[in-house]
Amino acid sequence: MPLPSKVLPGFSASLFMQSGATPTPLTNTQLATLASVSAIAISANQVLVEAVPAFGQDDAVANFTVAGSRQSDKIPTQSAPTSMTITAAWNPSDTVIQQVRADAYNGTIDRTYVVQATDGTGTVYYAFNARVSQFQIDAQPGAEAKAVFTLHPRGNQYGWSNTA
Amino acid sequence: MATQQNPVQYAKAIQYQLQSIVTPVPVYATFNRNFAIEPKFVTWMLRNVHQEVFTGQNQNNKSIDRPTFQISIFTQVIEDGFTISNQILQSLHGYSGLFGGATNGFWIAKADVIWLYNSYDNEDKLAQVFLDCTLDIPT
Repeated sequence: MPLPSKVLPGFSASLFMQSGATPTPLTNTQLATLASVSAIAISANQVLVEAVPAFGQDDAVANFTVAGSRQSDKIPTQSAPTSMTITAAWNPSDTVIQQVRADAYNGTIDRTYVVQATDGTGTVYYAFNARVSQFQIDAQPGAEAKAVFTLHPRGNQYGWSNTA
Repeated sequence: MATQQNPVQYAKAIQYQLQSIVTPVPVYATFNRNFAIEPKFVTWMLRNVHQEVFTGQNQNNKSIDRPTFQISIFTQVIEDGFTISNQILQSLHGYSGLFGGATNGFWIAKADVIWLYNSYDNEDKLAQVFLDCTLDIPT
């Protein structure tokens, strides 16, 4: 089955990341290749987030003003993949969250992350390479403790794929 | 694009799924005189079947469906009701996948169960536990 052909609940989306302390991130071609991406989207690699934030591409525009012209012109430029601020319920023993913490501590580890969304028949994947920053624990007493971190994708390193 | 889901399908799926969870305890769509013969049984009521309608004249411009069904557990022994409610919680809460069996089932993104409260009906001599379950259905 190809792409999901239904309106998806937000709950359908889940986040995965490559395992291992020093992963080899996927190439740009692999990021848009189902077999490479779906190999990462397995339950052991799932990041147990509270919600998957907006993912995709940022806005970027060049604004030109032409003398003598009535209107200026806005032209989209090659915009970067969106940074994602993730909130996960904090279980200090969660191996995936520990890896995220280690990545944030290191600061220069590139890792492939995968967002998966499915309608039970077809599945669509969004994969990107990113580094982790701003790893914080939010321990407000009124709710569960949260691990909050931001994924900053590397430029030109993301792709879409789907089951075929 | 979304098509309106059929409540008949929901009813069949809920009946099948609940029955498969609590078997051999009987499951009924409504409360009747079961209390006279059954020491424990489960009933359900479906409500709030509603796909949000978006703008424009295209009837298919709709959102997902999030129906809720209430599950009522009736038992002569109070602890039995709590045990059955736990069976339902463990099986259904957070469940994602085929809901309602191969024949009448459909895929759900999420089942979200809220354990509402327990009670006792002195007239029927039955303890009761009530739960709400909301489904997220891609459409």
